Order: sequence, then structure tokens, then C-alpha cells
Amino acid sequence: MMKGNGPPKREGKMRIRAFPANMDEKYVDTIWTLLKNAIQEIQKKNNSGLSFEELYRNAYTMVLHKRGERLYTGLKEVVTSHLENKVRQDVLQALNNNFLSTLNSSWSDHQTSMVMIRDILMYMDRVYVQQNDVDNVYNLGLSIFRDQVVRYNVIGDCLRTTLLELVARERRGEVVNRIAIRNACSMLMILGIDSRSVYEEDFERPFLQQSAEFYRLESQKFLAENSASVYIKKVEARIQEEVDRAQHYLDQSTEPRIVDVVETELIKKHMKTIVEMENSGVVHMLINQKTDDLACMYKLFSRLRDGLKTISECVSKYLREQGKGLVQEEEDSKQNEAAAATGLPCSGGTNAISFVQKLLDLKDRFDHFLKNSFGNDRIFKQVIAADFEYFLNLNPKSPEYLSLFIDDKLKKGVRGMSEQEIESVLDKAMVMFRFLQEKDVFERYYKQHLAKRLLLNKSVSDDCEKNMISKLKTECGCQFTSKLEGMFKDMTISNTYMEEMKEHLMNKGQTCVSGVDLNVRVLTTGFWPTQTVVPKCNIPTAPREAFEEFRRFYLGKHSGRQLTLQAQLGSADLNAFFYGSMRPSGKADDGASGGGIEMASTSSGTFSVVGGSKQPRKHIIQVSTYQMCVLMLFNNQDRLTYEEIASETDIPERDLIRALQSLAMGKSSQRVLLKHPKTKEIEPSNIFCVNDNFYSKLHRVKIQTVASRGETEPERKETRTKVDEDRKHEIEAAIVRVMKARKRMQHNSLVAEVTQQLKARFLPHPMVIKKRIEGLIEREYLARTPEDRKIYTYVA
Amino acid sequence: MPRGKKRVSSFVQSRLSSPPPPKKGRSTTVSRRASRNECAPEVFNQKACLKWFQEYSQNDDPNIMGPDGVEKFCSDIKVKPEDIVMLVLAWKMKAKQMAYFTQEEWLQGMTEMSCDSIEKLRYKLDSLRNLLKDSATFKSIYRYSFDFTKDKDQRSLEIETAKSMLRVLLADQWNLFPQFMKFLDESKYKVINKDQWANILEFTRYVRDDLSNYDYDGAWPVLLDEFVEWLGKDNSMNQSEV
Repeated sequence: MMKGNGPPKREGKMRIRAFPANMDEKYVDTIWTLLKNAIQEIQKKNNSGLSFEELYRNAYTMVLHKRGERLYTGLKEVVTSHLENKVRQDVLQALNNNFLSTLNSSWSDHQTSMVMIRDILMYMDRVYVQQNDVDNVYNLGLSIFRDQVVRYNVIGDCLRTTLLELVARERRGEVVNRIAIRNACSMLMILGIDSRSVYEEDFERPFLQQSAEFYRLESQKFLAENSASVYIKKVEARIQEEVDRAQHYLDQSTEPRIVDVVETELIKKHMKTIVEMENSGVVHMLINQKTDDLACMYKLFSRLRDGLKTISECVSKYLREQGKGLVQEEEDSKQNEAAAATGLPCSGGTNAISFVQKLLDLKDRFDHFLKNSFGNDRIFKQVIAADFEYFLNLNPKSPEYLSLFIDDKLKKGVRGMSEQEIESVLDKAMVMFRFLQEKDVFERYYKQHLAKRLLLNKSVSDDCEKNMISKLKTECGCQFTSKLEGMFKDMTISNTYMEEMKEHLMNKGQTCVSGVDLNVRVLTTGFWPTQTVVPKCNIPTAPREAFEEFRRFYLGKHSGRQLTLQAQLGSADLNAFFYGSMRPSGKADDGASGGGIEMASTSSGTFSVVGGSKQPRKHIIQVSTYQMCVLMLFNNQDRLTYEEIASETDIPERDLIRALQSLAMGKSSQRVLLKHPKTKEIEPSNIFCVNDNFYSKLHRVKIQTVASRGETEPERKETRTKVDEDRKHEIEAAIVRVMKARKRMQHNSLVAEVTQQLKARFLPHPMVIKKRIEGLIEREYLARTPEDRKIYTYVA
Repeated sequence: MPRGKKRVSSFVQSRLSSPPPPKKGRSTTVSRRASRNECAPEVFNQKACLKWFQEYSQNDDPNIMGPDGVEKFCSDIKVKPEDIVMLVLAWKMKAKQMAYFTQEEWLQGMTEMSCDSIEKLRYKLDSLRNLLKDSATFKSIYRYSFDFTKDKDQRSLEIETAKSMLRVLLADQWNLFPQFMKFLDESKYKVINKDQWANILEFTRYVRDDLSNYDYDGAWPVLLDEFVEWLGKDNSMNQSEV
């Protein structure tokens, strides 16, 4: 195939002889020797006397005359022998002395010479190398250098240990020749020829292994010696160090790898240990308000996939413990509840307020962490919310307490909070409200408390009240608040009635009836937490007449309506006279009250005097309507037994006991009645009489009703029953709503849908929903399909 | 409720007062069907059948067979009143009220079965019993027995009545039946409604005796959920005793 020279040409025609048409082996040898010498000169750095043009031409000639292979193998041999005999020997000699710099300088020499050689043999690169698909000249040089020098038995090991040793020394704090390492690393990268395999095998892998080993030991040492926060700072520093190292003298691609090793060894393997470290872990940081430490930990752990989960779990555990503690603390005060049940004063009110306040404080604390430590991370936000929801709903009294808390803030009080302060507290309370599952229970209590504020005129301001209602409306929709808004409307309309009533009396030439200044609130049934069965109560003559006058007036305007007196909601101001300690005498009360279609009233009246020589002390006593009824009895009689009072007034037992407790057993500055004997319980035979020695600095004495805040246990049960009853209807309504729209539905999807619809108000138990479904089947609103029991159809 | 209790002892008996419901609207269709069958007199003799009915019907209202008549009827065909076949018979006649057959019901049912004498009916009894083996027919009879048994002015079945009916229908084919009775005794249920009634049969058919395929989300009435729960407790109690 190499038949270059054909037979001699016959024609004598002038021909241009193809340049070395024919090359005999001798000539080739000559050229090759020339080239070989030149290459060796280059390797000896004696290249100044060489003619680049000539060498190039020679190489060209060889390739052109199909001597490419010869040239290529020749080159390989020359380079190999140079590296084997010269360079490797040099490096080996420097093995224990100046190894790295020797290697680096050999490497740079090799690179320089290979560039020159490549230039000379460029034609071969272009033609022979491409045709035969072999390494080009430069890469050939690289692979020979790699195999004959860098990977030549001891050299490879020595290089690796040297590099690792240097890194280790730097980690220990010594200063090392970073440039030498960088050169070595870049050499390894280049020797890989388009891949990082050489770097990886000869350096990176052992490096990572060694690092892992190093950090494994270090983590143990660190953990044993340091607190969590110090540990975290050290880890942070280490990571930064490794990043610097990778950037400065390793290959860039090593950075994520080495960081990963550090993270794994220093954090991931010890995540739980760090987080749960006693006296310094997350709990410690939370307790001691170590916001910054937590932030560091958050930053560090966010590098790892499960890192934040681990922290959040720990936070959650602590939060739940705290929350449960708060919630159960409340449970512990069961004695108070028992006391309230028997009618004794209870601290339920203050408890409710501190209960909510403590929860709000806890929320504030964790919001602070969330914002300043955890960068408002979604995971933490959710965890905190879920935890609050969890423990807030552990205590069935939470809805009541929250309403009491809001009641406390909206009540006219001595606290003197500005509207902005109230506003911000209410906003926080709304956050708690969102966590409540039983919003319907809250609504019930809120209605009760709002009614009391409105009827007893205790609201701090209408604006605040309306503001709160609009907050509830935003949260739960207008269905939730329509009745509350109705209550406000009733109040406004009642004011108009009172104006008109006054005018009406003026026209008749009166200012008041029977000396009673009557104030009536007409309450629409359904809006207010009134009782359908109105408790009986014998109202004294004077206020009763005043009320009858109003009734005539009102029914004259609205015939066909029904007006019922809700005595339990009313209050009265009484003028009272006490005749000192000189001698026992009577005292007189007068006044009036009313209650609400349903009405509540406040009134003030005159008094009567029963003898007495000394100048009497005059007081205005503010009492409930029930108490008024009791006190007025003493206008006619000096002493009465409990039984007598009960039969005269007809007040329900529980309310009467409560009324008497605050009159006779409250604070001494409010004790206008005396009880014999002075026991704690009220017995039917106990005798009550006016406390003539009553003394108070205040002209206007308000009789605090005991146990008015917070429900007693029986009341609570009653409320619960009512709530359950309401829920039945709400669940049924929801089922019918869903089924009316869907016509046909599978059991589980129906339950899910109903739960979803009612979620905003309460969380119905599936079993309860099922019972309602059965009820509806029984009443033939729904039916099971004949083919599948689990599918219901809507029966129109 | 002594009347109710008595009814329990044998479900077809008793029922001394409470008049049967003679539904007028129904009779037209019945007579139409009856007249259709008249074309086969050698198989079925309507006159004989009516005459047979009159042997049992009440003196004050010859259109109705009362409890006494039913009792006599039972003894004539040598079947105990609490025999399940009586239920099948009632179902065939589409009887509206336990212990009463109206003439229309009688005629319609006997015509369908082609029976006009004691002998013919007695001969037929086995095939009636066999009807119970067909699960669809059984289901239909089971469901029918709810309306048949309950007081007409009530929606639900009083618990004692329900229990004795269940005994007639399910005692032989449901292994958990004794436990279910015990459960009902211990529970506070006073009545069984139609949905519960229908689902008890479904439960006996689809839920294995070991409850392994019972599904809490299976839309069973709460009564049956509670039964399953009760069984769990009962078992664990038994085990702890062992």
C-alpha cells in the first residue's frame, strides 16, 4: 500500500517532480535524527539555536510521506525516555527534600517543552493524529508525564501524603506554601485531560477521606468540650475555612464536596446531640433567650436537609411542654372551680385573664424567636401555630377564657389603657382566637360577656366594641357576628325609646313613675343570651309600676309584641341610709329595676327612713335587680331568714344565694347586710339583717357580684349542652346543604365536606356527623342507595 | 307495655286490640290479579279459598282474620306461630300488619301460591321455606318484616320486638348473633330504626365473624360501630379473665 514510487515515466516531457516524490529510508532516518535531537535540545532548554521553520518542515515531510507513525512513536520514545531518565530521577532524588517544588518545576518545564514540541509537530497533530485518532502531541506528553512521573510508584504516594500533610498542618494552624499546593492541584487537574479523574483519584478522594476522619475526631472532641453555641461557632468557622481552602488552592469543584464532608461529620451526625444538648442545646437557648445563638444554629442547620426539621421538632417539644404547663396550671385550680360551684367567690376571672395573658406572652416569646432567630421560616411558623392550636384546645375552657380576657380589656376599668394599646391586645387575642377549634363556644360566651358590658354600661367605648366585632367578622364572616351587631342596634333603639318615654311622661306632667327613674333596654329575642324560661322574681311595687308604665307605652307603639322582664340582667341604684352604731335601726332602700321583648333596666330611686336620732349616713348603693328585691324587703322588716327572703322574692335559689353572698359576705366595705350565724355557707334558717354600722369612704358603693366572672361548673355544663344541641342543628344543616348540592355522595366524602364546612366554627367528630346522617335518613331527608350502602342520595 | 311484651313471646300471636288497617286503595289491584287467575279453575278455586278464609275471619268483621284466627290457621297447617315460614307466608300475602290478614291479602297471596285448601298449603310449605335460601328474596323478606312488625304509627321498632324478630330471622345464620343480643341488652337503645334494621343484615353478610374486614369508615350505623367496639372490649375482658 505504500507504493509511492511508480514505474519511471516514459515521456521526456518536463514534469514537476512531486517534491520528495520518493523518500528512501535513509533520508527519513536523517530527518528523524534531526528532529529527535531538536526535541532533546528543547527538553534541555537549549532551544535558542533551533530553526523552527526547518523543524516544522521536516516533521511535515515525514507526515506527508506516510512516516507519521514513525514520527509519533519516535516522539513517544524520546519523551518517555527523557521523563524516565531525567525528570523522574530528579524528582526521586528530591523525595525527601523539596519534593513539591521539584515536582512543580519539572512539571512547568515539561509543559513548556511540550508546547514547543507541539508547535514543531503541528502538522502531525493536524493530520496523523486526527486520521488515526490518537492523543495529540500535548496530551501525549501529559499522559506520559502522568504515568512515568506523577504516578510512578513512590512518587504518587509521596505527592498524596505531602499534600494531605500540608492541609493537615494548615488545619492545625501552621502556615504552609499554598501556591505549591495550588500548582500541584492544578497539575493533577490538567493531567486528567478533560476529566477530573486524576485529581479525584490521586488527591481529592483521599483528601475527603482524611478530612472526614479528621472532623470525626474533632467533632467528638468539640462535643465533649464545648456547649452547643460554642460548637456551632466552631463549626461555622471550620466550614468557612474549608471554603477558603477550596477557593484558594484546591480545585474549585472540591468546595461543595469538602463542605459536605464537614457538614456531615460535624452537624448531620450529631444533629440530635447538638440540638438536645443539656444546658446548652435548643431548649437552653429558648429558656435563656439566646436569640443570636439560635439564629446561628438556624443558619448552620438550614444547610442540611433535615436540619431545620430537627430544630423545629425540639422547639415544638419545648413549646408544647410550656403550653401544656400553662393550660394545666389552670386545671390545677380545680379547687377554685369547686368553690365557684358551691357559690363561693372564685378567682376564675383573674385566672382566665392571666391564663390568656400567659399564652400571649408565650406567643410573643416565640414570635420573637421566629422573627429574630429563624428568619420567619415557614417551617417554624407552622410548627408554632400547630403547637398553639394543640395545647390551646386541650383545655375546654379556652374559648370562655379568651372571651373573658377580651371582656376584661373592653370593660371600663382602672387600667387606663389607650385605644391603641387595647387595639394591639385585641389583635393578639385574635391570633389566639384563630387557634381555637371551638369557635362556636367562644361566640356563645362572647355574646354573654358583650351583653353584660352593654347592659351594665361597662364598655370602654362603642368604637372598641365595634372594632372587635369587625375583627371577628373578617375572621369568620358576617354570619358569626350578625347577632352581635343586632345587640348594638337594640341598644340604639332602646335609647330612642327612653327619650320618647320621657317625652310621653312630660306630656302627662310627670318626670318619673313612683319615684323611679327607669331605664329600659328592649332586647330582641335571639340576639341576646337571654333565657327562654324567665326566672321568676317578685319586683317591688315602685319599680314594678314604673315598668308597667313602660310596658303600656311600648305596647301602645308596637301592638302584638311581647315584653318579658329579664330580671337577671338588670341593675339598680338605691339611696340608702345607715343609722350609725348608736342603736340598731332600719335602713331603707328604694329604687327600681327592670329587665328586657326582653328588657333590662337600671334605675335609681328614693328611700324611706325608719326612725333614728343621729344624722344618718347616706350612700348610693349599686346593686343587681335581684339584690334590689332583697334589700327592699328590709324597708318593712328588720330581720328575715333566708327562707323568708326566698319566698318573698321568688328568686331562683342559685341567683339568690349569689346575691346574698355579695351583700352579706363580700368585702367589709360592701357588706350592707349581716348574716347570723357567720358561717361560710348559707343555710335556709340563717337570719339576715341590715348592717347599721356599715361604713364606706365612698358615697357611691358598688356591690361587686361574686363569681360573676367565669362560669361555675354547673353553668358550664349547661352551656356545653346548649352548644352540643346547637351543633346538632349546624351539622344537619351542613349535611343537607351539601347533599342538596351534590344529590349523591359517598359517606366519607360527605363527612369530609361537612367537616370542612364547619371547620370555621368547630371540629365535629366523625361519629357525631354519622349520627346526624342517620337521623336524617330516619326522617327521610337522605337515603342509602340500594346498590351501595355507603352512598347517600338526597331525598327531595 | 304488657301488650308489647306478650307479642314478643310469639310474634304472630297476641295483638288483642288495635284494629287492622283495611287499605282500600290496594284492593283494586288485588282483585284484578285475582280475576286473571280465575281462568284456571282446576288449579285454583277462588270460592274454596274464600270459604277457607271465612273459617278464621272475625265475627264482627268478616273481611279480617284476627289473632285468634291466625292461631287457628297455624294449628291447622301444623306450623308454630313463631316459625319463620309464617313470615314468608305473610310476605307472600303482602300482609300489612302482624297477626292480621285481610281478605284481599289472603286472596292475593293464596292465588299467587295456588292454594285453596289446608293440604295444598301444607304441601307448599317446603317450597316457601326454600325461598329463604335465595339471598335476594331473604333480603326482601327481611326488610319487609320491619314494616310488618312495627306499630303503624311509629317510625321504629321497639327493641324487644326487634330482638325477637332478629332471632327468627338471623339466629341460625349469624355466628355473632348471641353477642349481638347481649350487646343490645347492655346498650341503652330502646328502638331500632329502619336504617339500622336494614344494615344489620348487611353487616351479617359482609363483615366476617372475626371482624377482620370491618371498616370504621364503612358508613355503618353508629349502633353497629358500637357493637364492634363492644365486641373488642368483651374479647379483651374474656382474655384477661383467661
